[in-house]
Amino acid sequence: MSPDHDRIEELLAGYVLLGLTGEDAEEADRLLSVHVPSCAICRESLSGFQTVAGELGLVTAPVAPPDLLLPRIWRELEQPAEFKHAAGRWRRGVSFVAVAASVAALVGLAGLTFSLGNRVSKAEAQRGTLLEAVSAMRQSGTNPIPLQSQGPPSGGLAEISAPSIRHMYIFGQDVAPPAPGHAYQLWLGSNGRLAAVGEMFAPEDGMVVLEITSFDPSPYDTILISEEVAGSTPSAPSSSVRWSASLVPAA
Amino acid sequence: MHEDDHLDLELHRKLSEGNRGAFEELYRRYSGAAYGLALRVTGQDSLAQEVVHDAFLALWRAPEAYDPARGPFRTFFLSLVHHRAVDTVRREERLRKRTERVANLEPRLGEDVAEEVVDGAYLAVRRKEVLEALETLPPDQRRAIEMAYFDGYTQARIAEKLGIPVGTVKTRTLAAMRKLRRVLDREDRR
Repeated sequence: MSPDHDRIEELLAGYVLLGLTGEDAEEADRLLSVHVPSCAICRESLSGFQTVAGELGLVTAPVAPPDLLLPRIWRELEQPAEFKHAAGRWRRGVSFVAVAASVAALVGLAGLTFSLGNRVSKAEAQRGTLLEAVSAMRQSGTNPIPLQSQGPPSGGLAEISAPSIRHMYIFGQDVAPPAPGHAYQLWLGSNGRLAAVGEMFAPEDGMVVLEITSFDPSPYDTILISEEVAGSTPSAPSSSVRWSASLVPAA
Repeated sequence: MHEDDHLDLELHRKLSEGNRGAFEELYRRYSGAAYGLALRVTGQDSLAQEVVHDAFLALWRAPEAYDPARGPFRTFFLSLVHHRAVDTVRREERLRKRTERVANLEPRLGEDVAEEVVDGAYLAVRRKEVLEALETLPPDQRRAIEMAYFDGYTQARIAEKLGIPVGTVKTRTLAAMRKLRRVLDREDRR
C-alpha cells in the first residue's frame, strides 16, 4: 500500500513544532524511524519544515542576554561543576538533563542528525541519551559500573562516567516504581560520608535514563540509590537502599 | 547560500576545532536571537538564561550535532534553542501559570524591537522576511503556528484552548507550514 503522504506531511508539520502527543507522536516516531529515512519526498518535507521552524526563531525580537551569561558559560566549560547537594537543585538538574537528553539524538545519529533532532518523545529522548552513553563508553577512561541490587531483584541499573566529557549516565531497565508516596533518592559518597544529590524521577515503563552533565565523579567513591519519602530531604539514606556500587575502579 | 551563512559555516568549523574565538563570535551573533526566543517561550528571565546557557554549552561540547548539509547554522541553532525552551517550559509546568510576561514577549509583527542586539544585518533582513511570511497567513493559521511555536502548546492543547477539533488544528498547521516553506524558500533564492 502506498503511503499517504498528506497524512505523513501533517504529522511532520506537527512534529517539527513539537506539537504531537499520544498516538500521533507514536506514529511520527514510527515514520521517522522506518519510512522517512528511505523516502525522498518525506525527507524533503521534513527538511523544509525544519528550516521553517528554525527561521521562526528569528521572529521574536532579539534581546541582549545578561552580560554575565557568557562568562558563566566559560566557567561551566572550564571547571567541574560543584556537587549539587540540594534536592531542589537536583530536580532542576533532572529537568536540564532531560532537555540535554532530547538533544543527544543529534549527536548519536550521525547522518540523520538534523532530521531526527527535534523529536520530543520520551522514547527518543531515552534513545538519544543511550546513544550518547554508548558513544561515551568508547572513550578511554570511561568507567561503566553495574549497580548492585540490595534487596529483592528489581531490574538493573548501571552508571557510566566519562571523565573527558564530565558526564555521568545512569540507566536501567525493568526498574520497579517506588512505593506510593516514595521516590528514589540518589546519593554520592566519599570516605564513608554520603550526600544526597536529590530525587530521581520515577521510572516509566521500567526505564530509567539519566544524564548528569558537567559532573566530575572523581571525588566520589560510592554511588547509592535509596527509596525515601517523596519530597523529604533526608540527611542519611534510610534502610531502603535499593542499589549501590563502588565508583573506585577495580585494581 | 548567503555570505553570512558561509561565515557561520566557517565559524562552526573553527569551533569544532576548539577555537574559543569562533565560539564567542557565534555567541555574539546568535545570543540575542536565542535569548529573545527563549524569553518568549519560557516567559521567565531565569529560564531563558538557562536555555541559552545550555544551548551554547551543547554547541561547544558537541559541535558535530550540526550537519551543514541539513541547512544554515542559524536554523539548526534556533531550533535547538526552541526545542530546549519548549522542553523547559513544559517540564516546569508553567504553561498555565504564565499570566505575566515581560514587556517584550508578545509577538509584535512588523515592529523592530531591540534590533541593535543583532549585529548581523542579514539576520535582521531575514527576520523581516520571516515576519512578512507570517503575515501572509490567514489569521487562524498564524494563530495555530504561534500557539505551537511560541507558547509551546501541543496540538491537543491548542484545540482545547480554541475550542476546535484537533483535526482542524492539524489542517491549519499543515497549511501554514506549507505556505511558510514556499514563501521563505522563494525569499531565500532571491
